[in-house]
Parts: sequence; structure tokens; C-alpha cells
Amino acid sequence: MSFTHVSPELQPIVEEMARRFSAGIHSVYTPHLNEVYVHARLEVIPGLCAHLYRAANARLVSLFADDARQTDGAFHLYYVLAVDAAHGFVILRAPIAPATPQFTSLVNAIPAANWQEREVQDWFGLKLVGHPNPRRCALHDDWPEVYPLRKDFNLTTELPPFQGERHKFRAVEGEGVFQVPVGPVHAGIIEPGHFLFSVAGEPVLYLQLRMFYVHKGTEKLFESLPLPHGVRLAESISGDSSFAHATAFCHAVERAVCVQAPVRARVLRSVCLELERLYNHIADIGAICTDVAFVTANMHAMRLKERILRANEHLTGNRLLRGMACLGGVRFDWDAGQQQALANLVADLKPEFASLVQLIENSSSTLDRLETTGILRPEVARDLGVVGIAGRASGFDHDLRRDFPHAAYDRVKVNVPVYHLGDVKHRLQVRVDEVRESLSLIEQFLARLPDGPIRVDIGEVPPDRVALGYVEGWRGEIFHWVRTAPGNRLARCKVKDPSLQNWPALSEAILGNIVPDFPVINKSFNLSYSGTDR
Amino acid sequence: MNLNPLAIALQTALLLLLAPLVSGLIRNWKAKLQNRRGPRIWQPYSDLLKFLRKDMVIPEHASWVFGFAPYVVFLSALLAGLMIPMLTAQAPLSLFGGVLAVVGLLALGRFFLALGGLDAGSAFGGMGSSREMTISALAEPAMMLAIFTVAIGVGSTDLSRMVQAGQGPVWKLFNPTHAMAFVALFLVLLAETGRIPVDNPATHLELTMIHEAMLLEYSGRYLALMEWGASLKQLVLMTLLANVFLPVGIAPDTSPAALGVSALALAAKLLVLAAEVVLVETTNAKLRLFRVPDLLGVAFILATLALLSTFFFG
Repeated sequence: MSFTHVSPELQPIVEEMARRFSAGIHSVYTPHLNEVYVHARLEVIPGLCAHLYRAANARLVSLFADDARQTDGAFHLYYVLAVDAAHGFVILRAPIAPATPQFTSLVNAIPAANWQEREVQDWFGLKLVGHPNPRRCALHDDWPEVYPLRKDFNLTTELPPFQGERHKFRAVEGEGVFQVPVGPVHAGIIEPGHFLFSVAGEPVLYLQLRMFYVHKGTEKLFESLPLPHGVRLAESISGDSSFAHATAFCHAVERAVCVQAPVRARVLRSVCLELERLYNHIADIGAICTDVAFVTANMHAMRLKERILRANEHLTGNRLLRGMACLGGVRFDWDAGQQQALANLVADLKPEFASLVQLIENSSSTLDRLETTGILRPEVARDLGVVGIAGRASGFDHDLRRDFPHAAYDRVKVNVPVYHLGDVKHRLQVRVDEVRESLSLIEQFLARLPDGPIRVDIGEVPPDRVALGYVEGWRGEIFHWVRTAPGNRLARCKVKDPSLQNWPALSEAILGNIVPDFPVINKSFNLSYSGTDR
Repeated sequence: MNLNPLAIALQTALLLLLAPLVSGLIRNWKAKLQNRRGPRIWQPYSDLLKFLRKDMVIPEHASWVFGFAPYVVFLSALLAGLMIPMLTAQAPLSLFGGVLAVVGLLALGRFFLALGGLDAGSAFGGMGSSREMTISALAEPAMMLAIFTVAIGVGSTDLSRMVQAGQGPVWKLFNPTHAMAFVALFLVLLAETGRIPVDNPATHLELTMIHEAMLLEYSGRYLALMEWGASLKQLVLMTLLANVFLPVGIAPDTSPAALGVSALALAAKLLVLAAEVVLVETTNAKLRLFRVPDLLGVAFILATLALLSTFFFG
């Protein structure tokens, strides 16, 4: 087999795979240079994944199902593997016959697949075989046995709550061991999630998480909305990443119709992504200090964050950058005055941020709390597929902005901070480095802001196209995968927020730490409940 | 010695009215140092009034201890306050005991506070109680030793005599013995009043709380008593620190002029102490829980050194 439409870097990988697994692979489909679909039999999927992990140093970034019974008479299971070195994605697709709705778990080989496999089981009713912990994961316990992402499940169905006990937490026993339940409703304005600590005195022996209290059926909702409305829905997937999610969605749809946003629009998108990164990172740096009671630093961080939010409003009409993203580009252009205001903001932030960092680094009592707290070892992070800030603090040398340049990141060189100690201090340090890098990137983008339109009409979307959209959000990599349907709609939109991948790492990072250090460890990850639950 | 009802009434009123103000002042100053506007210094009074007006929610499984504890916490702090000299050298209830009684009353209040935290049966309350007892087991000896340092110099644990003996030239008060004991007692003050770096009175994170964790289940009148009791205890410890180590300006008799001078002196001393607390709280992060014993260990060692040095410098 030869593959003419594949990028030269991916080609040898795909060729070798096709040669070794020729009996198991039906066909190879390449809608985009860096996105290869390998349609294979379900039985060879574990072998293919193992091969790609070993031979191409690939990593599983998303795993989902698609109900294609109407068109293809089967469910499709997708495994998205990123081959960072080859700057491309290999997407394995396997059919599951409706008569035997089950698939084999990969979790023993790839622990990162855990929650995503169970999500497929819960949402599509495809039974997991060989999973060590196949309990319900992606629906709250009071949902009855329904499979909401199947096409024959009506979005407006009202369900009676399930009565009885479903999710039993594991008992942890021993002398002096007791359990501390926290949540699902927390103090403060955050979303629900249940944390069950098993402690012996103050040290934590085991932490069990229960998420998905507010599953909103977002992926289902995408299937019923006209495409432009999908952008607004994407903005609300995770409030602090609204621009990144909306851009990932737009990116996916634009790839599906093979239209690229104009270069000015892509630069404006990149600047907005950096603004989102800036305000979140600075807020997190302050919040980490608050959690060790060094409130003074937080007050300065809040002041800086507020300046960025006001700049956001001046540039896009919204403090959280909502309403800026649209299919085919961005909605608002910036005149010379707005560009100057942004340049002034960056110039002001640089010394201000430096003094904030100085304040924290001069506080030995703060550093004492952060160093060696909540260590996530690199090998554990790699097994769990931890991405983003948390990953980069634990040796994960990846950043979509550098490895898969999207938006206008091909116009700049992105420096990616990577550390290996994986404690709270280094998750803070990654943020500090990234803030500096973001400020520099915005300057570079502004210095060479190209002229031209900010939007193209993407026209009617043809049916049955597939595409993967990706954006490095501030928290980590965000993926939106779409399959189009007739009538300018989507047949499926899969949303992958980095939080889903990173939550299980929290259970590992807390081990051996004491209960009162949990809030600061949790804050150093700062994961989204909404992005996880969807 | 006899009991003077008027003195008791006046000092009770002074304690009850002044305690929330000190808390409010610290909160307000802290906000100012953090570039915030902060709550008015009168806010704790409004809070108390609000709590007193509200209904109470009592946990289903709580026993009589839950309702009994707030009264013990409040009254023990108030009684301890009546045993220390505030404006006059003679404390209204000094008849009933000296510094040991004060420490004992505070311990009684803490014991019931911890019981109240446990009684509701919530995990947070239990954690708070356990942490409180750990910390107090370390803070209490340091506190006793620090006060004994002064007591040895005077030859009495009667606080009134200690205060009277301290009258005289001011420079005499600033000897190394006193300085070490003062620092030790100041660290104890931070620990006992739930201040940074030991506890964070402003946090909403239940898992990190010590004092607040024990109050989580309290509401309405009980919460008012608990909060008032806590601010009373803070005022008692601050007054102890101020008047034992720096008994300047304390009224030798009850003439209005002497009392006026004494009130001004007390106010000045409390303001300075509050400012110190605010400075420590603003410039420090909270210690990791298992480092708190180190801090209190320092207090204990300082107090021990102070006590030993009385035999050299005394």
C-alpha cells in the first residue's frame, strides 16, 4: 500500500503498520495531511495500539464511540493516538456489531484509557471486557440504565431517578483508619465532585474520586444544534477555557470542510488563546498562594488578572473572551487603538508579574509549603497520560502549540517549560514560565500582525466528513472531533478536555501527603469539573 | 481581699465590648495591608447580632454536649478575663486564683470546644478537634513556662502581685529573660487564637481548618457564643501579654484619672499587639501542619531558657 496524502513524517509509520497488520486493516483514509484514519478489525486494536506505542512513541489522547448504525450498521470505536515526533494523529477505527455490543479493555496496557473506556460503556452501552474496575463512571448514579449517546435516545427524554445504591466506595480498613467524605457540594463557588479520603491520622492512604455529577449531555446537544450555535455551546463547556474550546470546535469544523481561517484571524485567535492562558495562570498562581494562606500574593495576582479581564473586554466585548470565536475566523477585528492598548498591557504586566513572582519567591514560608508537596512522579504521569501544566511539571515534554502548530503558532517559536520533580512548586513554576512566554508571544504576534480579512464563509458543510480539531488550552490539550451530517449539522461531536485525563492523577499525587495539603495540591492541578462531566 | 461587684460588672462589660473590636481591628488592618478595603472594624458586632437573631440548626445525632459546649467556651473565657488585671492592678476575681486558674479555665474551654467539634459527628469537626488538642498540648506548657518566668521573679503566681511588682522604671522590664518569655508567649498567642502561621481564620477550605472546623456545625446563638468566646480568649491572652510583661500605666487605685491613664495605656498596648499579629499574618504563609510543633517547640525552648535565665539574671 502507498499513501499519497499522508505527511512524509507519518508515511513510514502508517506503511509499517499496514504491512504488519495487513490482515486486520480494512482500509486507510487520509482526509488531512496529519490525520490518518486506519479502519481495522476490533480484535487487532490492542495490537495496533501496542505497536504504535512501542514503534512510534505514540500516546492515546482520546477514545470514543460513534453510533453509526443507521449508515454503517455498526457502532464505531475510535482511538486517537498522537504521534508527537511525526506531528500527526493516527486514528484507529473499529466497528462493533450491534448484536455483540462489547469491546476489550486496553486499560491494563494503557492506564490512560480508564475513564474514557468507561465513558463509552456508560454512554453507548458497549460492554467492557477485561476492565478491572468497570463501575459506572460518566453518568451520575441516579441515572437509570440508559445509553444517552445512542442515536435512538431522544434528547428530551425525562427519566425517573434510579433508586438504590449503585456506586459503592471501596472500604479501606486498618487500625485508626477512617474516611473523610468531602463534597459533592463544596465551600466556595465551584462545581460538584465527591472526594473520599481514607486517612490514618493526617496522612492520606487512599483517595477515591467521583465526578460526573453534572453531566449536561453536551456532546448529544451538539448533534441537535445548527453549526454556528455549536460555537456558543463549545464556549460553555468549561467556563475558564471558553475561547480554547470554541476555537477547537471551529478548527474541527473548518478542517471538515477543508477551509482555513485567514491568517489575520489565526493570529487574533492565537493572541486570545494567550490572553486566556495569562488570566488563568495568574489567577492560579494567586490561588495557590491563598491555599497556603499567603493572601498578599493573591491580592496582587487578582489585580493583574482584573487588568487582563478588562483588556479582554476592550478587545472582544467580553471579559472571558466569549463571543469572539466563530466558524471561519473571529468576529471582531482590532483597530490601532485596541492593539496599542494590548501592547501597553503586555508592557505593564511584565514588570508587575516579575514583582509578583519575586514576592512569592522571597516568602520562604510559602515555598516551604509548595516544595515536595503533592509529587506526581514522571512515570506515573506518563502511564496516566497526564497532559498540560501538570504533565509538563512531571516530565511531559509536549505542547500542541509547538508539536502541532495550530492557529498562528507556526509563525512563532514556542518555548515549552518542562520539569521533572512534579510537585506543587513545579506546577507553579510551569505557570510562571508560561506566563512569561505568553507575554512574549503576544508581543511577537502584535509586531507582525498581518492585514486581511478576519473571517471567511465556510459555506454549507457536506455530510459525512470527519475531522479532528485541536488547541493547546491553558490547562492542556483540547480536542474536538466531528463527523458531519446532512443539513449543515453534526452527526457527532466528541469533546476531550484535559481535565478528564488529569483527574485520576490527583489520587496519585495526594498519596503520602497530609489532609490539610490537599487543597493546595488540588489547586495546583486546577481541573475543570464541567469540562470533565460535559 | 473582697469581691467588688462594681469592678466585676465593669470589667465584664469591658471584656464583652472590647473583644469583638479587637477582632474587627485585626481583620480591617489585615485587609488594608493587602490592598483591600476590608470589613468595617465594627463588623464582628454586626455578625454577633446576626447570629443571635438567627435560628439554630442542631445536628440530628448531637448529644447535650453540643449545646453545653458553647456556654462553657464563652463563660470560661469570660471568667479567665475577670482574673487578669486589665485597668486596675487588682483583678476583680483574683481572689479565686492566679495565673494557674487562668490557664486552667482556658484549658477547660478548649476541652469543651473540642468535644463540641466531635459531638456533631462530622469528619471535619473531628479533624479540627484532633488538631486543636495536638497544638494545645504543645502550646500550653510553653505558655505556663513563659508566665512562670515572671512569676519566679515576683515570687507569686498571683497576677495582681506580678503586675504590681512590675511597676517602676520601664527599662527594667526589657531584660533578656522577659524578652524571651514575651516572644514565647506571643507565639502561643498566635497558636491559641488560630492565627497564621498556625491556622488561617479566613479560609473556606475545611480540610485545612483547625479552629473553624470545630465550629462548622454551629449556627445561631451557639455560634455567637463560640465566636464571642474566641474573641474573648484572644483579648484575654493579649491583655495577659500586655499587662504582665509591660505593666505600665496600670491604675494603682480607682481614681478616674488613674483609670483614664490605664485605659489609654491598655488601648495603646493592645493596638501594638494587634499590629504585630497583623504583620505576622500578612507576611507569612501558614505552616505545614506537621511543622507547627516546630514553631511551638521554639516557643517552649524560649520559655524554658527564659525560666532558667531568671536564676542568672534574676
